[in-house]
Amino acid sequence: MSTPAAVSFGTRCAGPLSAPTTHQRHHISLLRPLRSRPFPFSFSTTTTNCELSGGLLKPVLFRRTKGIAVAADTYQLDSSEPAQKEVEKKYYFVVANAKFMVDEEEHFKELLFERLRLYGERNKEQDFWLVIEPKFLDKFPDITKRLKRPAVALVSTNGSWITFMKLRLDRVLAESYEADSLEEALASNPANLEFEKPENWVAPYPKYEFGWWESFLPPGSNKDKV
Amino acid sequence: MAAEMALVKPISKFSKTTPKFSNPRAKPCSSYIRMSSSTTTPEKTATNSKKGNKAVIKETLLAPRFYTTDFDEMERLFNAEINKNLNESEFEALLQEFKTDYNQTHFVRNKEFKEAADKIQGPLRQIFVEFLERSCTAEFSGFLLYKELGRRLKKTNPVVAEIFSLMSRDEARHAGFLNKGLSDFNLALDLGFLTKARKYTFFKPKFIFYATYLSEKIGYWRYITIYRHLKENPEFQVYPIFKYFENWCQDENRHGDFFSALMKAQPQFLNDWKAKLWARFFCLSVYVTMYLNDCQRTAFYEGIGLNTKEFDMHVIIETNRTTARIFPAVLDVENPEFKRKLDRMVEINQKILAVGESEDIPFVKNLKRVPLVAALASEILAAYLMPPIESGSVDFAEFEPRLVY
Repeated sequence: MSTPAAVSFGTRCAGPLSAPTTHQRHHISLLRPLRSRPFPFSFSTTTTNCELSGGLLKPVLFRRTKGIAVAADTYQLDSSEPAQKEVEKKYYFVVANAKFMVDEEEHFKELLFERLRLYGERNKEQDFWLVIEPKFLDKFPDITKRLKRPAVALVSTNGSWITFMKLRLDRVLAESYEADSLEEALASNPANLEFEKPENWVAPYPKYEFGWWESFLPPGSNKDKV
Repeated sequence: MAAEMALVKPISKFSKTTPKFSNPRAKPCSSYIRMSSSTTTPEKTATNSKKGNKAVIKETLLAPRFYTTDFDEMERLFNAEINKNLNESEFEALLQEFKTDYNQTHFVRNKEFKEAADKIQGPLRQIFVEFLERSCTAEFSGFLLYKELGRRLKKTNPVVAEIFSLMSRDEARHAGFLNKGLSDFNLALDLGFLTKARKYTFFKPKFIFYATYLSEKIGYWRYITIYRHLKENPEFQVYPIFKYFENWCQDENRHGDFFSALMKAQPQFLNDWKAKLWARFFCLSVYVTMYLNDCQRTAFYEGIGLNTKEFDMHVIIETNRTTARIFPAVLDVENPEFKRKLDRMVEINQKILAVGESEDIPFVKNLKRVPLVAALASEILAAYLMPPIESGSVDFAEFEPRLVY
């Protein structure tokens, strides 16, 4: 866990192997009186960066909801946790009109590719998809009456991550549903996506390419045509 | 924190001290880098000590700042027993995101860095050093603040505390990476020294939220814009650090999201007329600081193939759109009058700088500055008073109940 920074700050912090020690330190610093360190913060203590990784090594706080339990698995990406039970999986989603989701919000594309990269690096099976005009929306009349069409949903079995995506995107509606199979969960109605070119594009770079989202459509789905 | 915000604090001190605005071309930058013995070349140290400069930190109006806050108030704010608005699921979700640690293995250098740095010569070299130094200071200032908040909030709110600690991990990485970059130029920032020697700007927690939120989000937009521009125009890719910006700035963006959640947990900071005034004030401070700063350093942006003003306006407009997702009011930066005002501020600022560089005695300089400073202040005030745009998170969507998504 020694980041380049840890080295350049002159603090030594052993790798993950030192977990128990780090953890102890963590504990000790919890018990210290709050005013123990003079302000401005002293910087030369050896705990500085160890505490950082101490946070990483701490057990996850579990909460009641299933969503969070799923999320805890995400954290243990590189551990060889057995796959979750296949029956009646819960799917979480955020949804908005297609233009907002895949045309305007370019940081959204970056987040999805970042996550895909991470899953690749850690050999984790993909658990998030983009669904254009999802069929499951029929179950949510309260959502559809507020939704411009065509719509695009981001669906994941990781409820905690969807909570984060709701926080990030803000102008989206979030809900969850259950389905017996992935195919059923991600079924979609045919739709064509077309976006008008922005009137005055002043960014010193071009827009992300039309169709970038195809990497995230459910497996086997028809790539939509222009 | 990748960007700085400085205008807010010392306006009152304007006329007391002599050179408030710095000009990188006029003063050698090395005077405020404290050389660290391990990485400095002998020649550099020699030139530096010849002047007898003993590690002077130049605190200018527009320099990146170190922040401190009222930690006791922070503890009260995040005590779940006192504050019932804490949306635990949002904080748990953020904690998972930070634990995932997307950039755990991202910040690995290669030999391209040193080679590229050696090729950067002439005036651009100095400007590059300054860019690295300022960026490193800004990231490091985030590290210090988040680190301390992580420590102080452990008891009252372990989840929020852990997020702060993980964010300080990110900032430490960023600062360390930038400092390594300085070593390519045979320099290093002595961060331990900086910690002790720099002045800390005090902000109440509410202002820390506004300021750091903006800092993180504007940092994201700066980095991603540079990254995407250089991807399109690789001939300007003069130093490999920019290739790291795409993944890097996702950290900044997530940090911003955390402050968004913090503010949602404190609706009193978002929902009254005072909040609206403060929101506009912080937006303006951040945008003006960046614009003036960058217009003093056009050589840097031009050096990587950007038009400084266009770059800045793009960053301001995008940051403002992002900020409108949480702040109760933002500035109408897309109104062409806003840019005209910024441009006038740049002109006045250049005149102020010219006074500083003149041969006049300090008293005359101050006298000459008075009308200019007044003109700058009145431009800033006029920009502040432009009709704002009502905004906010749809989670507080009373402002538009029939919003269509």
